Amino acid sequence: MTQVIIYTNSNGGVSVCVPTGELPINEVLAKDCPAGAIIVDDSTLPQGADSVFFDAWKLDGSTITVDFPTAQAHKLRDFNAAAVQVAQKRQLNTLAGIANAKSDADFASELATSRESIASATTTAELVAIANPV
Amino acid sequence: MAGTIVSDVLQDGAGNSTATTNAIKGSAKAWVNFGGGASPIINASFNVSSITYNSTGQFGINFTTAMTDANYSAVGMANYAGTSNQMFVNYSANFTSTASILYISTLDRSSNSLVNPTFVAVTVTR
Repeated sequence: MTQVIIYTNSNGGVSVCVPTGELPINEVLAKDCPAGAIIVDDSTLPQGADSVFFDAWKLDGSTITVDFPTAQAHKLRDFNAAAVQVAQKRQLNTLAGIANAKSDADFASELATSRESIASATTTAELVAIANPV
Repeated sequence: MAGTIVSDVLQDGAGNSTATTNAIKGSAKAWVNFGGGASPIINASFNVSSITYNSTGQFGINFTTAMTDANYSAVGMANYAGTSNQMFVNYSANFTSTASILYISTLDRSSNSLVNPTFVAVTVTR
């Protein structure tokens, strides 16, 4: 059982402070963390698919929840970033005279289907299951 | 028993010597090796009281004893998920480092995005 310190940071997200053991956790709480920070057991932190969306965590009292619309937006942002990379690679392939594995129409269709899946997802597990384009 | 040895030069038994200031300014004032994630796993450290995870690829390294100022030198290495992906360990653009805390970010060159490294090692001298 490991204890950690959690608090809402200056960017509005949740920070998790883990002591190295050089100082007792109460000293770390006083020295390294802002007022309002609390000590919790790390087993109480969101697990599984919820842990993937750390940047969507919100702290309410001593409970951390995942703000689902924020998680959805982050998933779409990461998906689009990956799509840009794949699209650039496809363009380079074309310039180099290398055939792309999928046609432009199939690629566009797959992107659209995945984006619809992101928009219609209702759980973080569903979001995690949607693969980025390759 | 506490005490102080004052000397301008350090010398070994073979007669090799160096200015004491080289040992003082050349020694690491803090270092840490940890694994990234929502609850970072700290493998080993010196003069580091805690690691704070602020968002994906964004960490704060809290010093047990603060540096004299924020003008210290820091170097870092990182590895991501056992890959050979190039990883950059940078000063964080979202948080401002001080004498008592160093904020770093870990960037995967392949995806050009911040990621949680499998491990990151940072050494600070001043």
